[in-house]
Amino acid sequence: MNIQQLLAKKDLIICVGSGGVGKTTTAAAIGLQAARDGRKVLVLTIDPAKRLANSLGLKRFGNDETRIDLSPLPDAKGELWAMMLDNQKTFDDLIEKLSPDEQSRANILSNRIYRATADNISGSQDYMATEKLYDVVNSERYDLVVLDTPPVKNALDFLEAPGRLARFLDKRVMKWFLQPYDEGRVFGKLLMGTSAVVFRLLGYIFGREFLAELAEYFHHFRDLYEGFAARHQAVVDLFGDGRTAFLIVSAPNGPSLEVAEFFLAELGRRGMHNPGLIVNQRHVTESGPLKAKAVLGARSAALSEDLPPHTGGQLLARLGAAHRRLRELSAVEDGLVAGVVRGMARGQSVWSVPRLEEDVHDLPSLGRIGEHLCTPPEVVGSRP
Amino acid sequence: MNVQEVLQSRLLLVTGKGGTGKTTLSATVGRLSAQRGRRTVICEVDTFRPALTAVVGKKPGYAPTTVGPNLDICNVTWREALVEWLGDTVPGKRIVKAILDNRVVQPFLEATPGLRETVILSRIVKLCDQYEQVVVDMPASGHAVSLLGVPGVAMNLMRAGPIRERALQIKARLARRDTALVIVALPEEMVVNETVELWERLHKEVPSLRLPMVALNRSAVPSLSEGERALLDRLESDPELTEDPLAHELLVAGRWEAGLEQATAEALKRLRSELDVNVVHFSRLGALGGYDGGPERIVQQLAAALARQELAEQQA
Repeated sequence: MNIQQLLAKKDLIICVGSGGVGKTTTAAAIGLQAARDGRKVLVLTIDPAKRLANSLGLKRFGNDETRIDLSPLPDAKGELWAMMLDNQKTFDDLIEKLSPDEQSRANILSNRIYRATADNISGSQDYMATEKLYDVVNSERYDLVVLDTPPVKNALDFLEAPGRLARFLDKRVMKWFLQPYDEGRVFGKLLMGTSAVVFRLLGYIFGREFLAELAEYFHHFRDLYEGFAARHQAVVDLFGDGRTAFLIVSAPNGPSLEVAEFFLAELGRRGMHNPGLIVNQRHVTESGPLKAKAVLGARSAALSEDLPPHTGGQLLARLGAAHRRLRELSAVEDGLVAGVVRGMARGQSVWSVPRLEEDVHDLPSLGRIGEHLCTPPEVVGSRP
Repeated sequence: MNVQEVLQSRLLLVTGKGGTGKTTLSATVGRLSAQRGRRTVICEVDTFRPALTAVVGKKPGYAPTTVGPNLDICNVTWREALVEWLGDTVPGKRIVKAILDNRVVQPFLEATPGLRETVILSRIVKLCDQYEQVVVDMPASGHAVSLLGVPGVAMNLMRAGPIRERALQIKARLARRDTALVIVALPEEMVVNETVELWERLHKEVPSLRLPMVALNRSAVPSLSEGERALLDRLESDPELTEDPLAHELLVAGRWEAGLEQATAEALKRLRSELDVNVVHFSRLGALGGYDGGPERIVQQLAAALARQELAEQQA
């Protein structure tokens, strides 16, 4: 599928893949391309490189939606907005929204465990990304939202983030844990049977004081349970919606393509729409083996008269070797990508973006990546 | 004596941005230590698809598996670590079973802040008593910071009890002279930036942690002479060659290599000045990424390079 058609049809694009493959850059380039084509786009990103963030004028904290100045690209017809996710702020906003009254809001926000959890404990970032996503998609302020997912340790974490928090707020757990708290008893004293044993042990393991604080924390959160559960369901629905597409981003190397294969299988199994795979940073050569002396010998001799002896010969030897290495590398990459393509479904696409010599840190270079993405992809099951 | 500090550490934590080669470096150090007769284990941290499998050829489980003389691998999965930790903490197998069989306790334990990280680190600390070297293939940047920062958080939250004690033990282990951190980087501006930031954050979170070495993978050591560079520039701007596609191909390849060399030089300079640390660079192997020779060959070559660095250090 042509990427421009895809961008025109979808409301939400989620970029997934392993770390270090250019996911953030790809998300930004896709967003920019859609904005050039006339859509109003928000790119929701987690942690872009400082230089990219600076040159786009992004603020690092506070969840501000920043409009990117597209004047360096006079052909742009739409708008590009970007937001960097601030974990703590998202969590605080969420509590504010879901709290029934001012008192319960204040209780949660001042709880020490809450302060420690919201920003410091792994997994909260994955959850907050989905949370913010739900917010901006529902605001209907944008034609298209592009989400750059956080670097996930377990590739699945991201897809399951909403489920984990909802599970933790499971009513049964709450009821079981909060019963003694609600009834004002001291932990473990008046309970019978297994629960009594378990409670005593938890008290022993975590310390009574911590357990009491934890009970308070859960107690405050209980009021929010309905809200969390509903939002979880909404995010799950959003992932499976026909207007949502997942794009897998990879580099042309074994480890990141392995993660890509994993995502291909998982997204397929979950019935989520996955138009295909973007392979970044590919090394491309167009000719067969070359003899540097035959191609450049004459010009090299003419241009090196004033240089130390043998400079021309040495450089030509280096150029020949560099070209051999580049061809070798390009062949290795082609083989790796072909291996992944064999396992893809008919109709899925592979977009290739060549490695750019410059570091991508401004609009024109993002625009060039977008242009590469606009060239027709390799479509699985169709003959070129 | 920085390479030596890495090789002789009891606990070695390897982290860095995703895709820089953390697993390969972990396998390299582990292999080298094992060859030198130290009982060594390489651990992954709760990974769903252990990357070690591709490098070592066997899938690590929770219990260490032997993959060569003196060399074991394992995956510190959180559920198994929890079971082991409960077993160590709570007297009596029956009680542990009662806790684990309780349907509502599982999600409770999953939700308890810091528990996951504490039991994982606790298992790693325990492995340090069973092996002469424990090499941990840590999660990437941000996840590594939260993993290592958790004992501190847990200690603030819990004023007594076994978790606090465990957190104290972990902190003590991280502060020991034979515990070392290695950050793996690549000669790319973005990766170098993230490496500098990562160390700032880790140092703030765990001030006692030592960073004796940054490993710069896939480096290209500058080798173009000034004359060659000048000639490359001239050929690139030569009007007689602009229309020649074959000349263009060769010059692109030459510029690509010159770019790699320059990026390596810049990365070395920045890392050395901003982190004040020994940067050991590993040349790219084979076709840059080095997948042609297979992981086994890469690990062997890296191990040889590391041993050479160590020797150079000793002679200096």
